[in-house]
Amino acid sequence: MQLFWITLSAALAISIPALATAWAQSRIGPAAAASLAEKPELSTTVIVMLAIPETMSILGFVVAMFIMLRAGG
Amino acid sequence: MIRAMRRVRVMGPRRELEGTLRVLQDLGSMHLGSPPRLPALNPSPTTRREQRLVRQLRALVADAETARTLLDLPQTPVDSPPPVPAPWPSWARQARQLRRRAEQLRERRQRLEEERALLGKYREMLDAFSGLFEAGRLPAAVRAYHIVLRPGQASVVEPLRQALAEALDSAFELRTRTLSAGDTALLLLVPLPRTGRVERLLGESGVQEVPLPAGYERATAVEALPRMRARLDALPALLEEVDGERKIEAAVAAGALPPMLAAAQDAISRLEAVGHAASTRTAFILEGWVPAPDLPELGEALRQRIGPEITVEELPTAPDVDAPVVLQNPRLFRPFQLLVEMLPLPTYGSIDPTPFVAVFFPVFFGLMVGDIGYGVVMLGLGVLLHRRSRPGTPLHAVAQIALVCSVFTVIFGVLFGELFGDAGRRVLGLHPLVLDREEPKDIVSFLILCVGIGGVHVLLGLVLGVFNAMHGHHRRQALGRGLSAVMILLVVVALLAAVKLLPAQFLTPTVVALLVAFPLLIIAEGIVAPVELLATMGNILSYARIMALGTASVMLAVVANRLAGAMGSVVVGAIFALLFHLVNFALGLFSPTVHALRLHYVEFFGRFYSPGGVRYRPFTHWRTH
Repeated sequence: MQLFWITLSAALAISIPALATAWAQSRIGPAAAASLAEKPELSTTVIVMLAIPETMSILGFVVAMFIMLRAGG
Repeated sequence: MIRAMRRVRVMGPRRELEGTLRVLQDLGSMHLGSPPRLPALNPSPTTRREQRLVRQLRALVADAETARTLLDLPQTPVDSPPPVPAPWPSWARQARQLRRRAEQLRERRQRLEEERALLGKYREMLDAFSGLFEAGRLPAAVRAYHIVLRPGQASVVEPLRQALAEALDSAFELRTRTLSAGDTALLLLVPLPRTGRVERLLGESGVQEVPLPAGYERATAVEALPRMRARLDALPALLEEVDGERKIEAAVAAGALPPMLAAAQDAISRLEAVGHAASTRTAFILEGWVPAPDLPELGEALRQRIGPEITVEELPTAPDVDAPVVLQNPRLFRPFQLLVEMLPLPTYGSIDPTPFVAVFFPVFFGLMVGDIGYGVVMLGLGVLLHRRSRPGTPLHAVAQIALVCSVFTVIFGVLFGELFGDAGRRVLGLHPLVLDREEPKDIVSFLILCVGIGGVHVLLGLVLGVFNAMHGHHRRQALGRGLSAVMILLVVVALLAAVKLLPAQFLTPTVVALLVAFPLLIIAEGIVAPVELLATMGNILSYARIMALGTASVMLAVVANRLAGAMGSVVVGAIFALLFHLVNFALGLFSPTVHALRLHYVEFFGRFYSPGGVRYRPFTHWRTH
């Protein structure tokens, strides 16, 4: 039973931030495409903007790994 | 580093302005500034003659560019200087003639191509009806409609026949044939007085007549077909004839256009540059910026080619006037300027981060990918790209960056003992020298290492921020940045002492120092300082992405290898593994690049970078732009 909760916690730790990242990127994507159509020189800014929400997923991944590692793996 | 610039003022007699601009253009080192605002000086107005000349030169350039594009000529550099004075009227005439001739050839070719396409389309249709008619022309009182129906439209034929029978009392002839592509060809013959009614019916049925090509309207299929075939046979020779004429024109244009284009663009630049000068009735003044090493050459060239009446004076740099910026770094770091120039340039006098990017970017990339196999593949691709790209182009710089990154990927691959994931360990008996990214305990060490590197990177950014603020005489800001750096160091020491990685005696003095530094930070940077400090700590934690992407990369590689073993068949397993590694490699190229860039642009540059520099654009010849 404990294994179930550990696994569920790790899954939630990565999946909820991943969904949040997806939502954020779904909002950034169209805006970025529209901006690039008008100003192609903004490509660097757009790449960085798209990479910013990925921090959530990455930190979620780190937390999930810690949960699994603390539980013995 | 940012190249040192000198602010200069060039003065001389008004009559020598054009000659001076010609010398400056030849030297190609001066970035022209706005017209100086001094008493008794006015912006140099361009005369009507000059304005007319600019218009004529623009027309010449437009003609020459159109001709060049239509004749598929590349832009070629011109090494020889243009004749002085330039024969503008004859050049303009020649450019106009070349443009007209190129347009005529293009139109002729288009007409022939369209005719060939149209005749090809009709031939099959008329072939289908050739047996239906006797030779000879249509009776004068009959109108023929040629219609092609798409495969799904064949069902309209019977309703159309019924509608025609009702409307015309059977005074019509409707024949159908199925063509090779599944289309249905319709031939409808009706008396001329009834054509209005018929066209309405055709419109209501949703079918549209395909008009016969010009010259065949009144002919029957039997009469039209031989003529169409003969014309189709003749068209390739006519097209070749046009292409031959086009080649001759292109050869003429290839010799004539580049010198006139270069000379016209140069003349336009010079005439526009007159607007950068200020003048009295007898004298002119030009101001601008010159790279420090080029200043003696500028004065010398002007004195030699114009005369001693031209003076070049170095001006003190006003704090409110921004010098133009050009990045100049040692050869090893130069490719990484591309990554800095993707953002707005740094302001003059601030720090050029290129050397730091050249050190940290490949390290971050290598830490994330860290695999000998992927590194070697990337090295191969980098070498290929390096050979295929021209030196000085952005693609060449990308190839050089890829080469450096691949070397670091191999180095970290050796340290982590990874070759296509764990394949190296299984097959070649490789062992990790520093960290095993598959081992849970080493993953934690890897995370600590990444965050530690992040701490060093962000602290370096803060220190550079102190230098930048000091250089700009922003003492309070410099103090704030310095205090932030010190406080971050103190927090790290306190944490290490708390978890017994440092002696416990460090804890109390560190906390006391933090309590002293905190109010000082608020005094220096205001109430937002604690928030910024927290954001900085968050930025350091953001470097955990290096570990996350690295671990994900190695796990994907391991999964690829395990899939290969689980497939049963060696061949199928190898194909699966190869595909999986290919996907991982593609991800390994893209994700680490984006995240390494982000760590630089957001976490590192955010501490010190001051964008907004004006790009250095020397006044020079068009061909060297």
